[in-house]
Amino acid sequence: MSFHLGGDKRASLAEAAARVGDGALVALGGGLCARLPMALVREMVRQGRRDLHLVGSAHSIDVDLLIAAGAVGVCEESYVGFEQDLGLAPAFRRAARDGSVEVRESCCATVLAQLRAAEAGVPFLPVRGIKGTDVEGLHPEYARMTCPFTGEELVVVPPLRPDVALLHAPLGDAHGNLHLDQPFVLDERFAHASVAVVATVDRIVPTAELVGAGVVVPGHLVAAVAEVPYGAHPSSCYPGYAYDRPHLAAYLAAATAGGTALDEYLARYVHVDEDTYAKDVDPERLAAWSGSTRAWQELFR
Amino acid sequence: MSWALDAGHAAQRSWTLDEAFVVALARTIRDTEAVFHGFASPCAQVAMHVAKRTHAPDCLLIEGATYAVDPVPVFVPPTGNDLALHRDAVYRMRFEEFFDAACRGAVDRMFLSGGQIDGYGSTNVTAIGGMPHPKIKLGGGGGGGNISASIGALTVWTSRHRAGRTLVADLDFLTDLGHRTREGSRAELGYTGGGPQWLVTELGAFDFDGDGHARLRALWPDVDVDDVAAATGFELRVALDGADGLLDPPSPAELAAVRAVDPLGVRRSEFAEVELARTPGLSGVAR
Repeated sequence: MSFHLGGDKRASLAEAAARVGDGALVALGGGLCARLPMALVREMVRQGRRDLHLVGSAHSIDVDLLIAAGAVGVCEESYVGFEQDLGLAPAFRRAARDGSVEVRESCCATVLAQLRAAEAGVPFLPVRGIKGTDVEGLHPEYARMTCPFTGEELVVVPPLRPDVALLHAPLGDAHGNLHLDQPFVLDERFAHASVAVVATVDRIVPTAELVGAGVVVPGHLVAAVAEVPYGAHPSSCYPGYAYDRPHLAAYLAAATAGGTALDEYLARYVHVDEDTYAKDVDPERLAAWSGSTRAWQELFR
Repeated sequence: MSWALDAGHAAQRSWTLDEAFVVALARTIRDTEAVFHGFASPCAQVAMHVAKRTHAPDCLLIEGATYAVDPVPVFVPPTGNDLALHRDAVYRMRFEEFFDAACRGAVDRMFLSGGQIDGYGSTNVTAIGGMPHPKIKLGGGGGGGNISASIGALTVWTSRHRAGRTLVADLDFLTDLGHRTREGSRAELGYTGGGPQWLVTELGAFDFDGDGHARLRALWPDVDVDDVAAATGFELRVALDGADGLLDPPSPAELAAVRAVDPLGVRRSEFAEVELARTPGLSGVAR
């Protein structure tokens, strides 16, 4: 893969999302319900993207919303759900049952090994487990190999080179340099293993300010960066905003019901521009976490 | 041990099953261990912080999906990748740093649960009804399919034993490795981790015998062996000897730690209503 040279990487959200083609192998950044690239997810739905092949670790509304909107062909995440808080992912569950999405469930450490193979330019890497699990049977592309040094039989996995890694960061600059706070989850590995990073940031700042905060993903891996305040909502992106529990619950209710309820959710929250969305969901209230422990706890009740 | 408590310990009686359950999980952690829990597991998460604040202050606590080392949570929120869990942490592992450590055997214990658990402690967190046409697609295994092979010991647990669908003879899908799969034992598969050491449920506590099969070692005081037999799908092997005190009443310090770590009661989301109403501490008390 080549680096992404050139000066100004700034793009509109529509231009950024248009870099993802139908059928693309897409890595979604963030994890569980934190720092998910939700504005890009919504924009891909607006643009009518189809047959995406999603890869990654543990995710939630990003994957479920793409499935609910009919944008996904293959799901190769290690987990899709809303944890003990809100439970199983409704669109994912329905699509797995009716076969409309092919579920090739993976394992975090296997995805990591495959990304590292892509980063290093080697044709495979071994993993420590998987042998003997039924996950192995979901992946005809895996193989077993006897180690030439120890004689152990190990599962080996091919490189995973996403066409695009979709990342959201609190801060970026015009050159596409990104600052993230930990946990980075797989964002760094996705950035290095993918053909291109397409990013949204809550704020574009001068390079000197970004360097002060710390560059985690360098601009030479990034093809486009769009400034979208609250671009991870309803997942969290601290220090700006916490997890929007009422919104997530509303999504779950709509996606569980399907039909008209889901159509209404999509019409109100997805098929609108991001400014309209942000006015509607009122994310400023999610900054209350920093006021006091009590205020922070209230966001989760 | 005795379940009868004197009047001076009346406060100790006022504990609920969810609190004692978390304490039992905590007691499976030794003070010299590096310990980890998967996401979507508030009971295990709270248990690790209870252990750290009571009998295991020197354990290396790796906080789930934040990979923070020995953080002191502001509180436990209902989602596992949240700043409240690690705000003032001194250090956060990278994702790959944790998984490398777990794969090379540097992590001593992990907590694992599942929609189904078999007699060898293998778990299904992928699909009820199996793949590719699941009746119920569960969330998925996260990283368990690799690191259950190599981590030193596993504390397997469920808060859903009583319903009868969790402890099964045969898994619909094997996601995480216990002591045996259809392909053979851990030794035959070449796995270096020790596998399941304990299986703790809302009915009792099992360890694993020489065959790597679960063996009932202790019961909660309001449960009898028939209750366990009725709810268990795999062969019930019984050797009741108290399980090293795992299910003994929680101490005041342990109870205080549970309540301080989990003021929102996130652990309670793991239990059916009928279990949340249990106060087993009262059942053996002379009145």
